[in-house]
Amino acid sequence: MDLWNNLLQGFLTAGTPINLLWALVGCTIGTAVGVLPGIGPATAVAMLLPITLKVEPTASMIFFAGIYYGAMYGGSTTSILLNTPGEAGSMVTALEGNKMAKSGRAGAALATAAIGSFVAGTIATVLVTLFAPLVAEYAIKLGPPEYFLLMVLAFCTVSAVLGQSTLRGLTALGIGLAMGLVGIDQISGQARYTGGVPELMDGLEVVLIAVGLFAVAEALYAVLYQGKESETQNKMSSVHMTREEWRRSWPAWLRATAIGFPFGCIPAGGSEIPTFLSYGTEKKLSKHPQEFGTVGAIEGVAGPEAANNAAITATLIPLLTLGIPTSNTTAILLGAFQNYGIQPGPQLFDKNAALVWALIASLYIGNVMLLILNLPLVGLWVKLLKIPKPPLYAGILIFATVGVYGMRQSAFDLVLLYAIGLLGVVMRRFSFPTAPVVVGMILGPLAEAQMRNALSIGEGHWGVFLQRPVSALLLVVVLAVLVLPRLMAWWKGRRALSAA
Amino acid sequence: MRAVPTQALIGAGVMLGAAGLAFGAVGISSDAGYAGVGPNFLPWLVAGLLGLCGLFLLRQALTGGFRPMDEAEGAEHGHWPGFVWVSAGLLANAALITSAGFILSCALCFVLAVRGFRAAEDRLDLGLKAWLVDALVGMAISAPVYWMFTKALAISLPGLTQTGWL
Repeated sequence: MDLWNNLLQGFLTAGTPINLLWALVGCTIGTAVGVLPGIGPATAVAMLLPITLKVEPTASMIFFAGIYYGAMYGGSTTSILLNTPGEAGSMVTALEGNKMAKSGRAGAALATAAIGSFVAGTIATVLVTLFAPLVAEYAIKLGPPEYFLLMVLAFCTVSAVLGQSTLRGLTALGIGLAMGLVGIDQISGQARYTGGVPELMDGLEVVLIAVGLFAVAEALYAVLYQGKESETQNKMSSVHMTREEWRRSWPAWLRATAIGFPFGCIPAGGSEIPTFLSYGTEKKLSKHPQEFGTVGAIEGVAGPEAANNAAITATLIPLLTLGIPTSNTTAILLGAFQNYGIQPGPQLFDKNAALVWALIASLYIGNVMLLILNLPLVGLWVKLLKIPKPPLYAGILIFATVGVYGMRQSAFDLVLLYAIGLLGVVMRRFSFPTAPVVVGMILGPLAEAQMRNALSIGEGHWGVFLQRPVSALLLVVVLAVLVLPRLMAWWKGRRALSAA
Repeated sequence: MRAVPTQALIGAGVMLGAAGLAFGAVGISSDAGYAGVGPNFLPWLVAGLLGLCGLFLLRQALTGGFRPMDEAEGAEHGHWPGFVWVSAGLLANAALITSAGFILSCALCFVLAVRGFRAAEDRLDLGLKAWLVDALVGMAISAPVYWMFTKALAISLPGLTQTGWL
């Protein structure tokens, strides 16, 4: 079969010693950034984007993918052992994981998290292998109007639906779109907002924005507002699950994979929703509901962790087949592809088949590597948690410098980096989401080009978005995504009112 | 209802940014070709979006504050001395990196930033020994990074000397 041939080829490419080494280094760095507070996969990939200048695409994409899902494995270690809520994706793991660790079962929690991540990641990779080519085959039939509306859908979910406030989400999206405007217009070749500065012709650097918003802002925020916070760490116990714990983890892993995977495929912004859904499901189905929130229920760790990994792996489907990123990290991965002049999308499976299949094969390999890195070697990562905050954040600033300076060799970029960092502090303090900025900046120019191409097809009439069945359907979905949550809130409010 | 000054300032800032975008959009051609909309369409759209967002943010700020909104993470008041230390580190790095080279400039940034974080923890130590130790740690981080990027990946970073080692 064609599929298996492609996958086999992928394994042959990904299995060369040098590519295996890149995968291993990626998984190791990924686990480390997952474990360390103050730096996540998006930041780490952004800081390392300069390697796209020298390293060949297959190797660097394998490397970046390793960081991406490695961070998910590492994140659970921190959320189980430290008593501070970490990233959104692992926040739910912390709920029960922390309780388990406090009652002396940290080892079992870590084991179910790592093995669950492996199970979910591997199943999700199989699904990506099977479905991505199908989606790509279908996506090739889509035209500019459909692509434009898919991108609008991504914008809407990232900014208006997820997060606390639609208004602040839209503001963040507007900031991102505005940043994306800087540079040469893709269609007319006209320079916009460059102020005659030649460096701005190519647009603002993704590294600069991402590292500024995440790393520098994080450091500045920590020094300003979190200096007095002290973290306490739970005691480790041996990483081992009893037969009973295995029996309780299995169904949770599988259910969570089924919940997480579809959420990763659609532009619903990463893993917050599926992890919460999985937690809720496990709590409802558990035969030991009294353990939830008290001594810690193992299902409450197994489920969300697996859901997280399934969703993260599935985000590769929209990224690779449609070229649409649905989270911070996938947006930056798209930036990495663009640095090579590769545009992810349905043609990717034809034009860059070797690259795509090597990347998919590396996911299988990476999951095995991560299981080994995170189970027997977990003690090593726990030591990272002992690094005190001052040198940790100061060290992150060094890596921020190397990422930004390495990309364009401009000292002025470092001043800009500081300014973006200040913007990030303000945004975080007043709870503006950052994902819409990054997604808007990277996807904005692509969406604009699709929109103008679509209008050219329609000879300048906006009706083109309504005349084609798929695009009309997408338009309805976009409207539903925007209107339904509001309608439901209104309905709930009315019911509450009439009940009172 | 109470107005929240910083939030009002943010709303006004967003509106100012929108005005800037609109000002820039005036100079962009509207030549549309077959598309009906030209290169100036999205700039105007984004300017409009941000203008509206700014207006609504300003209104919320003046009528009791942004909502819905949880309590911001961390302390109520910022630790500004620590902030100044870290800012000084970052800006000194920007000023010195081309002349002092990556390793030394980043080590200086590290030392200053560590001072800031220690100050925020109320454990600021300005003794000579602490400076020296931090400088050494900073170099122990920045030097391998420098060598890895310049030697292994052939990505150019500025050095103090032409030797490629410092």
